[in-house]
Amino acid sequence: MDEVLHVGIDLGTSRSAISASNGERFVVDSFVGWPLDMVARKVLKRDVLIGHEAVANRTMLDLHRPLERGLLKEGSDKDVQAVRELLLHLLRLVGVNGTIDASNVRAVVVVPAAALRTNKQYLRNAMKGIVDSLLIVSEPFAVAYGLDALLHTMIVDIGAGTTDFCVMKGRYPTEEDQRTLTVAGDSIDTQLLKLVQERYQQANVTVYMVREWKEKHSYVGHTRDRIVVKAPVRGVPTDLDITAELKTACESILPPVIETMLDLLSRVEPEFQERVRNNIILSGGGGLIRGLPEALETALRSVGGGKVRFMKDPVFIGSDGGLALAADAPEGDWEKLTA
Amino acid sequence: MNRVKRRVLQEAVTENLDTIRGLPPRAVRPVRRAFRIWMARAPLIVLALTMGGSAYMLARGEQPLPPVPMKILRQAGLPIFRAADARQETERVAATAFPLAVRRVVLDAGHGGSDPGATAPQLLEKEITFDIGQRLRARLERDGFEVVATRDGDRTIALKERARLANESRSDIFVSIHVNALLAHTNARGIETYYLGATSDPKLTQLAAAENRVSGYSMADMRALLDGVYADARRDESHQLAQAVQEKLYTSLRKADPGLENWGVKRAPFVVLVATDMPAVLAEVGCISNEREAAMLRTPEYRQKIADALYEGIRGYAKKGSENHG
Repeated sequence: MDEVLHVGIDLGTSRSAISASNGERFVVDSFVGWPLDMVARKVLKRDVLIGHEAVANRTMLDLHRPLERGLLKEGSDKDVQAVRELLLHLLRLVGVNGTIDASNVRAVVVVPAAALRTNKQYLRNAMKGIVDSLLIVSEPFAVAYGLDALLHTMIVDIGAGTTDFCVMKGRYPTEEDQRTLTVAGDSIDTQLLKLVQERYQQANVTVYMVREWKEKHSYVGHTRDRIVVKAPVRGVPTDLDITAELKTACESILPPVIETMLDLLSRVEPEFQERVRNNIILSGGGGLIRGLPEALETALRSVGGGKVRFMKDPVFIGSDGGLALAADAPEGDWEKLTA
Repeated sequence: MNRVKRRVLQEAVTENLDTIRGLPPRAVRPVRRAFRIWMARAPLIVLALTMGGSAYMLARGEQPLPPVPMKILRQAGLPIFRAADARQETERVAATAFPLAVRRVVLDAGHGGSDPGATAPQLLEKEITFDIGQRLRARLERDGFEVVATRDGDRTIALKERARLANESRSDIFVSIHVNALLAHTNARGIETYYLGATSDPKLTQLAAAENRVSGYSMADMRALLDGVYADARRDESHQLAQAVQEKLYTSLRKADPGLENWGVKRAPFVVLVATDMPAVLAEVGCISNEREAAMLRTPEYRQKIADALYEGIRGYAKKGSENHG
């Protein structure tokens, strides 16, 4: 038998990443687009565009973001097709169907917790036939597994579509161990876009621009730097100071995130609460918001204090966790996990 | 690999194998597992109680009561559990097996206060949803429904709080009103209605329908009785409510805007749908990112049209429920 390739694929709302046992790692924006008409197809010279390329050419595309709001919209064939295209693209990047046969791939696909709860069967059907063996797990679980943080830990995964909370109790998370909020990166973008449009009414700003600004400069609390970005005002590139708007937009997620974190903590068995409070792990793109761990630690003071760790490599944390799961799963199980 | 890792990995694999086999989500399984365990032990418990009761009556010199004929049990409308059922998978009981009536409706106007929702120039989702909610409330109350509103003005109310309000009101259905914004597709405009649910495989249980026809409970009352099977029943009922609302919204609003698309009924894990105990739907009644639709959403006439369509959908669902269950 040819050598087996283990892969962990983090299928995110905003970005999707793959980590493979051959050492390859890639990340793409979770956008898939199909040319709108014959003209667009001629110009783009492709039947489907993925990632940044799709976003850049969006005016010529039927653009889909398959896991918008953290779940796969049921009944939308285009979104299912987009998930398949994304997976195939990521697998091709690590050599599958080039030098490696798909039948030798053991894949763990990591999805937002909300999607796994409601779309489990649908997701599995959507991924049918892409690889021979497939395990689907939730993002917070994969993160916890990859970090070997399976006991008395809370994962707070702030993605684009959802913020997932999961308390790890040394078991596969159940419903009571998890919470999902739809307040996440996308809601910051929406707020920021609105605030910038309100302040600079003549500026021509899109959600894609504010997303880029957020990813570069996001913060909560205080900053000494002024955050100045460029956007066209009546066609002229102009400097816009968005320091206050960015702070307001980023801080808009704090109340629900803190409320949910404290609520979930209060439901942990009393003797373990302190240990969980001191083992809170912040993951996902939202973890990159400057000052966020400190803001959460400040909130934890009201219940006796705690420690929030931030993972420095949030891009691959989910796919690396998936890869760890793939590598650890016994071959006997893989034979049963046919896709 | 340590013991904990081995255990959680095995559980993850089992969970996936269950999905492949089409078993229900973990969330409902503990109830079913407990029920199966209880049913497996039921014959022993019944036997022990019978023997104990007989011994007690013999000791008091009384004759045991004659067995109650099965027919009487059926007439009394009581569910019958047979020992043979103990080994079977718990059957899903559809809510249509019970006579239901919608009396109290929770109206949830999306967003509010510091959370404006989706926006367009001089147009905020929170204002549109509140206005439509008020119009809908008036129509429902005129028709004899009781209405519970999750917000009474421009206030920030957490989703959890909305769900708590709804659950504490013991209402029969929950309708959340929202407006879509598709910033990447500003040409698109359509109507969609969401409900909560994993992949469902509805099987109506005719026997249960016959046994429970005369119960006279409302959906809220029935909830306390249904417990374990309620999650499935709620999904099916939510689906039906979503279909009724979506159909009325689309057919009615399309007259005002022939280009409006029907994006259908979909399932989604919106918090208000997850956390509410009653059948719940979330209607995206328009698309604020589309200029043409935003212009219509600014007019009181179009908002009234939306409220009327929502009312017709709710009324249709309630009426269908009453007809089905006599």
